[in-house]
Amino acid sequence: MEMLPLTLQVLVFPGLLFAAAAGLVTSWVDRMVTARVQMRVGPPFLQPFYDVVKLMIKETCVPAGGARALFLAAPLAGLAGAALASTIIWRAFLARGSGFSGDVIVLLYLLTLPALAVILGSFASRNPLASLGGSREMKLLLAYELPFVLAVLAVVARTGALRLEEILAAPAAATRPSGIIALVVAVLCMQAKLTLVPFDAPEAETELSGGAYIEYSGPPLAVFKLTRAMMLFTMPVFLVAVFGGGIRLGDGVLPAVAGVLKVVGLVVATILIRNTAPRVRIDQAVRFFWGPATLAALVATGLVFVGL
Amino acid sequence: MSFAVRALTRSLNVFHLGGSACNNCDIEILDALTPRYDVERFGLTLVGSVRHADLILLSGVFNTKAAIRARRIYEQAPKPVVVVAIGACACTGDIFRKSYNWDGPVDRYIPVDAYVAGCPPKPEAMLEAVVTLVKKLRGA
Amino acid sequence: MTRDDILARIKAELGDRVVDFHAKSDRRYYVEVGPDDVPGATRLIFEELGARFQIATGIDTPRAIEILYHWAFDRFGFVLTLRTKLDREKPEVDSVAGICTGTEWIEREMWELLGVKFRGHPDMRHLLLRDDWPAGKFPLRRDYVRADHA
Repeated sequence: MEMLPLTLQVLVFPGLLFAAAAGLVTSWVDRMVTARVQMRVGPPFLQPFYDVVKLMIKETCVPAGGARALFLAAPLAGLAGAALASTIIWRAFLARGSGFSGDVIVLLYLLTLPALAVILGSFASRNPLASLGGSREMKLLLAYELPFVLAVLAVVARTGALRLEEILAAPAAATRPSGIIALVVAVLCMQAKLTLVPFDAPEAETELSGGAYIEYSGPPLAVFKLTRAMMLFTMPVFLVAVFGGGIRLGDGVLPAVAGVLKVVGLVVATILIRNTAPRVRIDQAVRFFWGPATLAALVATGLVFVGL
Repeated sequence: MSFAVRALTRSLNVFHLGGSACNNCDIEILDALTPRYDVERFGLTLVGSVRHADLILLSGVFNTKAAIRARRIYEQAPKPVVVVAIGACACTGDIFRKSYNWDGPVDRYIPVDAYVAGCPPKPEAMLEAVVTLVKKLRGA
Repeated sequence: MTRDDILARIKAELGDRVVDFHAKSDRRYYVEVGPDDVPGATRLIFEELGARFQIATGIDTPRAIEILYHWAFDRFGFVLTLRTKLDREKPEVDSVAGICTGTEWIEREMWELLGVKFRGHPDMRHLLLRDDWPAGKFPLRRDYVRADHA
């Protein structure tokens, strides 16, 4: 593991290529579960891969009068954020001593990069519908980041550690009441971070014709889609790392399989919520995240100090 | 046949471009996209923006005012793209071909790759057209 | 206020400007005035009596080009149509778009398809036909022939 230079780790394993491949598989799982819920057959296994390859062969249209450099660079920022986040998380699983103090905070920042990339790209598009999608994404970002950070804070407060490895070494947070409440809040925030129903107002296809992505085509759109797939995989892994004790590799087969099953369980829960809930308006979403969700996260943190 | 077109046939994003139709064809297109016919198993998904489109479905009679705008929208779709004309009005003008505001079927303005006749055509007919088009693109 | 009050008031205020007044049924009334009295009658029906504008109709008949404005009195359950007949050679009438904005687009449509000139219309341009439609060719006129132009 330590033999590979760091760049290769970021680009291949466990960074870009690994997260991309895992993300595409997770994306297929998402579409299959959705299909089964709707009593359909669903797409073939390689469908997400075909989608990305197909986008690479289409032409790239840059809107006239839009900010060309920002328009083309924004997707790459999101991709970088997701790839780096994946690298840091998996290095914590695989190699002891590879993290640094405060890497949880760095992860929280990196995981907001895909949303920021969408916002930047939408405003570089010079399209009123894209601006609407971007402004909704901004509001959503402001809304869910607060309870999300507070939920992670609950775990950090209990373990007293700002290092992912120390959080992994401590007993899993989700075994205690404070941890369970924090996990529920974090799952709802993850739903918004992944722009999935019920919190996908920025991307409302019926209202905004694609929202923030309306002007994107070809390879830049492929990068956005790939980033979304990577986040669909990386976010549950992050949640399992912080709340569920992570994927313990090197301790035997059973703990590792348990970790993987926890990730799969979170992914399926996300997909089921996505298929059964209606979309909420952006103001309802903001009110929800700044209201009940923040309150629950504060309660979880409070319970930590009481000893639960 | 190029890799590009083969990649395209495995993952087609469907975009519906209506030209003042009576909406019966639009209803049948909507039917075809419901879980009952499950077009996702062919790799077809519905998209909202023409910039994401690979397969443009034309429905309705495009009168002189709409045809010019439809051409502009077609030009905004990133190439390569395939176009299917759905319904008798889009294919030939049907009952509107003597109208004062009609200047020829829509393939005078937009190059059409497949025609699905019917008023309205059944979803099965539309799916057969798409599958035949895909097979033709792959086999040629 | 009842339906009969409204009808009585219209008859009283328009007086001898009414060319014809008849009822098709107890829910359908037709008032005909001359072209010059249309704005005044519209002001009475819309501004003072508070009717709701439904739609307008233009008809090309052998004797005249008729314009009908259909006004709904929803609370009283009837529709009152204001009819006027215009000369076929020179169909001109004052626009009522300044009185009721809802008539703006239908007057555009009546101009482009029948050739009726609405004097004082704020925004007279094509609605349904393409912008470079040849001038003077009105498709819904009886004597329109499609092969006449490009």
